[in-house]
This record gives sequence, structure tokens and C-alpha cells, in this order.
Amino acid sequence: MMTTTHNSQIDVEQLQFRYPGADEAVLTGTDLTIEPGEFVAIIGGNGSGKTTLCKSFNGIIPHFYEGDVQGQVTVAGHEVSESSVAELSQHVGYVFQEFDNQLVSPTVFEEVAFAPMNYGHEDYRERVHRTLDLLDLGGLEDRFVWELSGGQKHLVALAAALSLDPAILVVDEPAAQLDPVNARETYDRLAMLNETHGKTVVTIEHQTEFIAEYCDSVVLVEDGIVSWKLPVEAALNRLEDLRGQDVHPPQVTRIAECVLDDARPLPVTLSDGLDLFTDYGSNTGARTDGSSKVNRTGKPVISFNNISHSYDTLRSGTKDVIDTLSLNIYPDERVVLAGSNGAGKSTLMQLVTGLETPDEGTVTVGGTDTEDVLPEQLAEEVVYVKQNPEEMFIDDSVRADVAHYLDDRDYPNVEQRVDEVIEFLDLENLQSRDGRLLSVGQQRRASLAIGLATNPSIILLDEPTGSLDLGSREEVSRTINRAGERVETVVIATHDLELAASWATRIVVLDDGDIIADGPPSDVFADLASLKQANLRPPQVVRLGTELGLTPAPLTVEAFTDRLNTASPSTETAKSPVEEQ
Amino acid sequence: MTTLDALRDATSVEAIKSDLLRTAYENEGSFLHRLDPRVLLLWYVVFLFVPWLFYDMTVLLGLLAFVSVLAVLSRVSLFLVGLMAFTVVTTLGSYAVVTVFTGDPVAAVRALIPYTLKLTIISVSSLAVFSSMGPKTLSQGLRSLGIPRQFTFLITYGYRMLPVLFEEYHDLVNSFRLRSTAPDSPGRFRWRHYAYLLKLSVRAFYPMIFNVAKRSRVTVEAMEARGFSHSLNDEASTELRLADMQIRPIDVGFFVGSLLVVAALAFFF
Repeated sequence: MMTTTHNSQIDVEQLQFRYPGADEAVLTGTDLTIEPGEFVAIIGGNGSGKTTLCKSFNGIIPHFYEGDVQGQVTVAGHEVSESSVAELSQHVGYVFQEFDNQLVSPTVFEEVAFAPMNYGHEDYRERVHRTLDLLDLGGLEDRFVWELSGGQKHLVALAAALSLDPAILVVDEPAAQLDPVNARETYDRLAMLNETHGKTVVTIEHQTEFIAEYCDSVVLVEDGIVSWKLPVEAALNRLEDLRGQDVHPPQVTRIAECVLDDARPLPVTLSDGLDLFTDYGSNTGARTDGSSKVNRTGKPVISFNNISHSYDTLRSGTKDVIDTLSLNIYPDERVVLAGSNGAGKSTLMQLVTGLETPDEGTVTVGGTDTEDVLPEQLAEEVVYVKQNPEEMFIDDSVRADVAHYLDDRDYPNVEQRVDEVIEFLDLENLQSRDGRLLSVGQQRRASLAIGLATNPSIILLDEPTGSLDLGSREEVSRTINRAGERVETVVIATHDLELAASWATRIVVLDDGDIIADGPPSDVFADLASLKQANLRPPQVVRLGTELGLTPAPLTVEAFTDRLNTASPSTETAKSPVEEQ
Repeated sequence: MTTLDALRDATSVEAIKSDLLRTAYENEGSFLHRLDPRVLLLWYVVFLFVPWLFYDMTVLLGLLAFVSVLAVLSRVSLFLVGLMAFTVVTTLGSYAVVTVFTGDPVAAVRALIPYTLKLTIISVSSLAVFSSMGPKTLSQGLRSLGIPRQFTFLITYGYRMLPVLFEEYHDLVNSFRLRSTAPDSPGRFRWRHYAYLLKLSVRAFYPMIFNVAKRSRVTVEAMEARGFSHSLNDEASTELRLADMQIRPIDVGFFVGSLLVVAALAFFF
């Protein structure tokens, strides 16, 4: 069975690396030691060199990218510069951030068997079944990889990396691409591999809530060097260092930071937070947030009437995505469609654009049945900003993409209108670049600009904060708020409930193609049973508030600290965006 | 109108997509799928030559009937058959158009029918053989015939990417649609509408290629990290990959049987 190789230490000494063709080095003299059996999180801002550092563990750096390299890396007793990627890969399993592109075989079995067969292991069948069983994936063997859900794909990528039974496992940003429930599942498996099978686990992560709960220690990478490696509690108390690298400390920690005024270490997990705040909870009176009012004016702008929608798969038969659902969305609402991956959020949005029409029932947009008009005509009112911004870049520069719609419809003074949108979203410096080559945060901004240029009255955003670090997330949230000023109705599909808490006036919870909760955020977040059913987790601050018996639970860190300070009314200046309504 | 609707449903992107995927993957129940890929490839090579040995129309029609039965047994995609029928008919039609200027079009078409028939026999046998082989068996077969693994892997990978490319392409065409203007009046038989869609479909290839190129970097790194290069020179790995292939009586029976059918056609007609 799976055994621990005791010689699985990673030693990095004065590692410097510059990519071929780049002017500046990514790593500038890094030192790091990771002991066998550790569960380590590596954090750092975009471009800090954390992924490059991890790629030096299995030799992709410097064997695959032949850049300038100095210093020494030793992994499981092998000198990296002297060993081949093939040799090192038997000790280091690697799950890439874009795990979708890492799956190279049609079926799950072939994917997991890929590495053992490459190394000529005759027992590859047993290895595949053992690995799949270890990750509770038994039964998926014959499924096609493209028909799996995102969470399953990630676990299959993990299984493929584990199939050689490496002692070290590197996972790049598991929480960024997955919904929170799937991300937890991945972390639970990683914790099991670490505790039961003694594997060293290294994750690149920026969601500190996961780090606090699962990891032993944290490594901060800053401008190409490791600034520190600390045990998790001490690390997450270095608030300034974290913020300097665009890493959000956990919400509990942020609340404690505002509330505590002594030198005690700040709590980093929910349970630590509970112990600390129990005294505070008892003396806060119930106070309504005033956000429960729903102001619905006029006729619905989008209405789904008893719609059903399904699609065919090759080996799994017909799948119902939406099953007799009805929903009305009114002007000036900020609606969040919440639900885990596969709950039907994107399908609902596709139905509004007219690209898909329901199998049964009708969808009307501004009173028009989507079946009676072409998507091109609906596009004058509705804009759909896709989850994957790359699918929106159809020209070779951002500016051309923004102008495409206006040019095609022969609008007057196109240049001026494009300038205006580009300025509105601060894209002046990026406008001549190819959208595909921007960072994810910039891509989102550009895709939003493409949407706004059509001057729509309804804007649909699919997972706008997916796979973004803190800096880019805040940038996108600001952009959404600004976009809201120009557009009548904004609908966001997301599993990011922190975004929902701070932005929405109405949350619609979808599960398995059905609406299981619908109302203002404070009501929906109080409905824990529905959230659980939909595989959603309220933000940490809401869970903390609920555990402390605050009703309604505050939705943001600001609202929470505000509540804790109700004794002194003068501190009630920080208002949550929800209260600003 | 209902026939037109039915035709439109059958030729919708969604329908073609699942039809092609079914051809690529769902071949497990078909007769030819049970055969050894080496035997099938050899059979295919033989049938590339056989049609050229005959001039008699009856024999050629008999051969066409034989390979068509095999094609039906391998559940060939209707879309591909339709595409083939379309090219055969239009090719003959174009001969007729060209020969109007040089002489007697009917005679020219008649003279070219045997030639076209031979090409059709080869096309149908290609459809039958390659539809019945999944990516795995096809690359196994080629690998055992000495084709380098770099190439045979490309086949499996190509198959794996096929649905992803379909999806991506479809999404890009949709992105184009949402930002373009459809023609004001669709015209007779909606020809303007279809011409417009055709134009967008061509333009959507360009961004697709860029997106794929960008993504393949991760794929190559991931393959490297799981020993792909290692497998190229590893005897044990090659043996493992080819281990479950074996030639059984059914393979020999099929091959000999096919030759007997050809011999019978040649002898009796």
C-alpha cells in the first residue's frame, strides 16, 4: 500500500532563476526547507515567483524552461539540476492551477494510468484502482473527463499526480478554480493524505480561511525571495505582510483586529474566534440591518415561466439542468444566483441571452419571448459576460474587442464611445494589448468593458470573481459597483458568498435546477438548511455571527465590528454596502 | 415547414457535435470494434487497392454493398455519410458542368462513374474502419506497426481535445453572434441568415487557435511531469501499452472472409 518515503525533504538554497527572454529574474536568491510530512501553504502576490519556486521541486524549472539558474535545490536526496524531470516526478506529484489542461486522456482510467504506464509499471491497473479508491472516486473509471464536474476533474488530476505514489504533493491554487464546497473536499483529501499517509503537501493558496484550517506552516514569497516561513497562527497574525502581498487575512482575524486593543495574538480560525467573542456576543442587542425591504418597482425585466432544460451526454444519458423553474427579476435589483457548480446558474444566463431556448416553458426579456427573436436582437438589451473571459476576446486587441459591437452596428462616433468606456474602466494602458495575454484580473475588467460598450440595460456576470487574488477581486468588485451605475439590472451568478453578502439586494439559491431560497441576503444567510442543501457556505463572518446568536447575523466584517461596538454609538461610521441601499 | 424544422434540428451544432462524439467514442458495441486493430489496418490497406483491380460495374457495386454493410455495422455517423454523399454528388455535378463546354456532359459523367465509385468504396471503408476504432485501439494499432509514440499519442490527445474544441468553437461563434448584427431580412430560404452564420463560423477559428495554443503549454508541462518523455525510450512501457492486443480466430475469419467475398464477386460476375 501507500507508504511514506522518509527521505522526502525539500531544500532550496540561494535559488535564482530568470525565464528565457525575460529581463528580470523571477527568483532572486531563495532559501527554503520543507520537512517530510509537513502541510505547507505558499502565499504571495501575483508574479511574486511562488509558482516558479514550486516548479523547481519537480525539475520543470530548470529542465523544461532553460533560463538562467543559480543556487541549489535538493528534493528527496536528488540534486534537481542533476536529475531528470522523469526521475523527480516519481517523488513529486504536481497538480497545476489550470488542471483542466492537465488532463490528457479521454477517460478517467486512462488519465490515472498515464503515468504508471509511461514508467512501465506492470501493476498499473491496481495502482489506478487503489488511487481512485483512496480519493473516493471509485466508479468514475469509464467516464469521459470532459463530462465531469469541475470538482471531479480536479480530484482526477490529483489522482493522476498520486498514481506514482510520490512522497511530495504540490497543488497550485486548489481553491481558486473550485467552488467552496469542492475546494473543502479537495483539502479534506489532502489532509488525509498528509495525516494518514505521511505525504508532504505543498499548496499555493491565497484563501487564508483554508490555510488557517488545514496547514501547519506558511511560506511568504515576496519579490522572488522567501521572506519568512512561520507556523500558521504566527503567519496569519502578520497582517501587514499579508496585505502587502494582496492576501486577505481570515475574516475572524480582521474582526479581532478592529475589536481587540491589547497585544494578544489574533484568532485565525472560526473556533478560536468563537472562544474570543462569546463575551462580546451577549451584550449586543438585536438590531435590524434595514436591508430586508425589497423594493420592487414595475414589471419584471426578466421572467422565467415554468422552464425546463436538459442536455445529452455520451455515457450518462440525458441530464436535466433545470426542472420547472419560475423566477421574476425586477428593474434595479442586484440579484445573485448562488449555487454550487452545476446547479444551473450558467444555463439560466444562457437562456436570457437567447442562445439557448428552454425545452419547456418561456423566457421573456423586457416582455419579448426569447424564442421569437434572434440572440443578436436580444443583445441590444442584454449583455452576458462569461465566466471564462478568453471566450469574449475575438479580436486582437482590447480596443478592437470593445469596439466590435459598435462598429458592426454602424453606430455614430464609435471612437468617442469606445474611449469613454475604456476610460471608465481604466483600460487606457491595456487597450492595444491582446486580451488573451492579460492577467486574469485585467481580463475580467476588459471583458466587462466589452459588455458595457453595448450600452445594455441588463448585464449578466458569470462568476466574476472566480480565480482572482485579493487585489484583483477588489478591483472587480469596484468595477461591478461602477457598472451598476450605468445599467438597470445586474445579475451575478456566483458561489462566492462574500461577494453576495457585500453586494446583492436579493439572493436566489439554486440547487439541482430548483430555487430553494429567494430573498434579501440577511434572510437567505439565516436559512442555513437551504444553504447546506445547495452546498454553499455563508461567509465566515456570518457563521461567526450565527454561532454567537446575533440575529440577523452581520454580513460583512465592517457590519460585525460595528455591532460589537454598539455600546459606543460614535463608531457607527463604517457602513456596509448593504446598508447603503 | 416541419421537414425544414427537422432538417434544421438534425444539422444544429448540438446535434452534429453529439453525432461526431458518438462516432469517435461510442463504438464498443460495433462488430469491427471487436477486431484487432492491426488486422483492421491491414484489411484497410488491402481495400485501398482492391477497387482498382476491377472495371466491371456489377463487381464495384457489389464491393460498395459489402463495405456499406460493414459501415452500417460500425454505426457510422449520419452526418459524415451525408457529407460524403454530398461531395460525391457535387463532384459528379461539377464534371457535368465543366464538360458542357468541352463536349457531351452525359457521356463524360457516365465515363467517370466507375472512378467515382472506386473512390466511394474507399471512403466508405475508411468510415467503417476508423469509426469502429476508438482512439486507444487506433493508436495501439499504429504503435505496433512501428509508428513513433509521439504521433500515436497525438491521436489519443486529439480525440480527448475534440469535445473541448467543439465546446470552445461553439462558444466563440456565440460570442461573435452576440456582438454582430444579423441581416435585416433573412432572404429567400433564409440564405442571408445562413451566409452570415457561415461568415462568423469562419472568423471564429482564429481566436480558437490562439486560445488552444496558449493552453497547450500547461498540457506539455503536465505530460512531462508524468513521464511522457521517459516512455518514449522505455521498452517496458511500450510492451505494457501493446500487451492486451491479440489476434484471435475471429480476426483471421474476418480477413479471410472479406477476401472470399471479393473473390466471389470477381468470379461470379
